[in-house]
Amino acid sequence: MDVVVIILTVSALVFFFATTVGLLRFPDFYSRMHAAGKGDTLSSLLILMALVLYNFHEFNLANLLVALKILLIVVFIFMASPTATHAITDAGYESGVKPWSKNPEEES
Amino acid sequence: MDAFFIGTGVALCLLMLLTLHRAIHGPTAIDRIMGVNVVGTKTTILLVIIGTIYHRVDMFVDIALAYALLNFIVTIAASRYFQYHKNLNPKGYGYRFRAEDD
Amino acid sequence: MIWQLDLSVLTLIVVCAFATIMVKDLLSAAIIFGAYSFLMCLLWTEMGAVDVAFTEASVGAGVSTVLFIAAVHQTTRIVKPRKSGRMLSKVIGLAAALLTGLVLIIAEADFPEFASPFSPASLHLSPYYITQTLHDTNVPNIVTSVLADYRGFDTMFETAVIFTAGLAVIAILRRYKRDDRCDLPEPGVVSGGYPDTIIRFIARQLVPFIQLFALYVVAHGHHSPGGGFQGGVILGASFILLAISYDTGMIIGLMSERLNILLGNIGVLIYAGIGFLCLILGANFLDYSMLSKVLPATDKIMARSHGMLGIEIGVAIAVMAIVISIYINIISHGKYDKG
Repeated sequence: MDVVVIILTVSALVFFFATTVGLLRFPDFYSRMHAAGKGDTLSSLLILMALVLYNFHEFNLANLLVALKILLIVVFIFMASPTATHAITDAGYESGVKPWSKNPEEES
Repeated sequence: MDAFFIGTGVALCLLMLLTLHRAIHGPTAIDRIMGVNVVGTKTTILLVIIGTIYHRVDMFVDIALAYALLNFIVTIAASRYFQYHKNLNPKGYGYRFRAEDD
Repeated sequence: MIWQLDLSVLTLIVVCAFATIMVKDLLSAAIIFGAYSFLMCLLWTEMGAVDVAFTEASVGAGVSTVLFIAAVHQTTRIVKPRKSGRMLSKVIGLAAALLTGLVLIIAEADFPEFASPFSPASLHLSPYYITQTLHDTNVPNIVTSVLADYRGFDTMFETAVIFTAGLAVIAILRRYKRDDRCDLPEPGVVSGGYPDTIIRFIARQLVPFIQLFALYVVAHGHHSPGGGFQGGVILGASFILLAISYDTGMIIGLMSERLNILLGNIGVLIYAGIGFLCLILGANFLDYSMLSKVLPATDKIMARSHGMLGIEIGVAIAVMAIVISIYINIISHGKYDKG
């Protein structure tokens, strides 16, 4: 059981690292939103699953309740985080942020 | 196992520092909203990890749920602001450390 | 107290604080202040103070940031620079801050060591609370029992302070149509908000569950971190979510001004009313053990627990009404028509 927890946590950390690197290095607002929205949600799901599994060292009713609550957080993040991404991207599009193109651009 | 979770927590804090760089240096205000959203999600996860380190997860899960909620509300509020006021940079003012053109 | 996490979170907090001051754009400063509040809550959780962290999360990171954004929505985003006398004021400010810090550090040398078991608070007061709470009031959460029962006066006046804050915002901002004498220009809104289907759908699905969770936080405050104040703020935040995704006019239709003020009043009245009930029944003000004469089938210890639940409900109702009222006042510029 511990091995599964370690594997899930390390993979979540890898995805978090990829998200952060993407947030820093992408040239355009829209591509940064891709990295932030998707990578963030996936990493949260993975690491919360790992913590649910780690909680089952002793199987009694209180631990089941805690596991259900963490699953509730997972469901909530799954519903709310893509909506927040959509809201930010929509606000950016309506405010006129231009997509990146391969032509040389000047410092904004 | 505890040391592993402490290491995970410290790694998450380091990644949060890099995200804050985007939140501070983001050329527009919308980049900052995105940075704060990511910081909020990482904080939610860090709360549950701290609960696991203290071996009392049942106390910390309620706070984590409230956190995810409020992160969502703040992001939606900040982005709805931009649907009313459609200017990204108010005229002439940016981040102080860069040379700006008035 | 995990020192590795402590150090890293403290570094992040300092970076955030510097960033909030240095960014010139007011909206960005408000948003980075929200991030600072998130990290502050993390620090308090890591020290083990979960109730404080819950309150900071709901008030500081949630509602306070939304209210800041609403205020920037009504005013401008830029700060007018002052050209004269900047150097002198900066030097004076720096000297004052350094002097205060120096005095604090010198005074801190006299404190007992951090979390030592021989400090006066830990020697006389804490063992009493820790051992006697379950015996006296049947409530496992010591923080809630101290807040609501042993120190109930403080919480009553805090509720009164929140109510006064709501009244102050109404007194400053509210404008009625018939005597509209002020000549403030309307804020430079370029276009009205347009309906966004995804946000509306998700908000409509999520709000009942958010309110259920808030009621759970209020009612379960005896056994888990929470209590009346945090639950009330989350209830108010759910209404703010509806107001953001739909138009503010919809919220004004649901919770009009009279209803808000009435609910705020009722909340404070419930708190003071329970206190007066205890007074009438022959004990001290806010001494809940006398409630066992009114409530059926409880003895004196359970009556204290039920009394605490009653005042938590009062606090939650008052806080929810005031949070909604402050938000509507700010976002509609006092005129209660649009937002």
